[in-house]
Amino acid sequence: ISAGSRLLRGRGGHVVIRFALGGCTNRPFFRIVAANSRRARDGKYLEQLGCLDPLPNAHGEKVAGLNLDRLRYWLGCGAQLSRPAEKLLGLAGVLPLHPMTVTGAE
Amino acid sequence: MAALGARGSAVLPTRLRALWALPVRRALAKDAGEGKATQPKPAFTDEAVQTLLYKMTGLDLHKVFRPVKKGLKPPHYKLMTEAQLEEATRKAIEEAKTKLIMPPVLNEREPIDDVLAEDKVLEGTETAKYVFTDLSYSIPHRERFIVVREPNGVLRKATWEERDRMIQIFFPKEGRKVIPPTLFKDENLGTVFQQERHEDVLNMCIAQFEPDSPDYIRVHHRTYEDIEKHAKYDLLRSTRHFGGMVWYLVSRKKTDGLLIDMINRDLLEDATSLITLYHMLHPECQSAKEAKEGKLQGLDLIKVFVKTESQREGYIQLALQAYEEAMATSSAS
Repeated sequence: ISAGSRLLRGRGGHVVIRFALGGCTNRPFFRIVAANSRRARDGKYLEQLGCLDPLPNAHGEKVAGLNLDRLRYWLGCGAQLSRPAEKLLGLAGVLPLHPMTVTGAE
Repeated sequence: MAALGARGSAVLPTRLRALWALPVRRALAKDAGEGKATQPKPAFTDEAVQTLLYKMTGLDLHKVFRPVKKGLKPPHYKLMTEAQLEEATRKAIEEAKTKLIMPPVLNEREPIDDVLAEDKVLEGTETAKYVFTDLSYSIPHRERFIVVREPNGVLRKATWEERDRMIQIFFPKEGRKVIPPTLFKDENLGTVFQQERHEDVLNMCIAQFEPDSPDYIRVHHRTYEDIEKHAKYDLLRSTRHFGGMVWYLVSRKKTDGLLIDMINRDLLEDATSLITLYHMLHPECQSAKEAKEGKLQGLDLIKVFVKTESQREGYIQLALQAYEEAMATSSAS
């Protein structure tokens, strides 16, 4: 029995959709991931739902991909979102704009 | 050749539709519908047009199955009877027909210009724009949602170039690069044409761009213009690009060089099909009316066409005379 299941058999976690950080030094890269909330940030996840490249590319764009099909499934299953994930989806237009974005802007 | 043409017209539409279904589903359905209705101008996809273009393309097996650069292997010899050899040639002709399916000719696509939301609140928070791509697997690429959130807060649909780039990043297709190669810029195309590699350029262009993108159309038009200027029609003769080139020349009424080339190579049937196609596309011209009245065939058709429509009458008359002399001497001897 691995360490992960010991964590999970105790009280019960929930599914979250959050960013998992990857990449190298001075080169972050986020994967948008549906995982159990008690897992490590970069650990085993249930499913990858997309990615985000926070550094702009040669055309001045920050590329992000979102698997909307599966995102809708997990949200339907009752997954929660982390705050940066909510902000990103608000920017994308999937969810309404997050109030923190608005307050931050002001 | 006629038998092949007859069989081809039955098989071509389904194959065309199957081949072009994925990238051009919407556009093709619209065109096909209009062609079947009482639209006066025949489209590229009409069966009659396709049969004519296919006959003109020719079927030079040696050129179609020209050795492509692959890994080095020693040649493979087989011992066959006459019947087996015929069978093998027949199969080779079938394969060659699939290789000669013409790539689609479409109008240029309209630029996308759709704003989904405007949030002035976000102005000044971000420095770069965000491009969001929908990565659901079962959506056709044409219907994918690709939106851009600008730094000034505007949420708009992505332009066609951004769409193509994002789709290539997330769903890479073989032979396509994310940023189109510099080969396709106008100044570099000239170098390629001097090396007589028009066919390679067109193959690369088909792999890289969508058929209705302005770059695709621009590269194709440049290539056809160059071929027509230097009369290098034979370069494309047994390839799948020949139909597209003929369509381009006939719609712009620049068929003289091609006609001369065909007569010089003794391809009278191709010349007549070229003129029939011309009449189908421009039914209001004088030679079309005369041909319909007189129901002319063969050489007479060409002569009427030359008298009324062509610019380089002298050259064509010369070529016709040379052809007739050659026919006379060969039939005499």
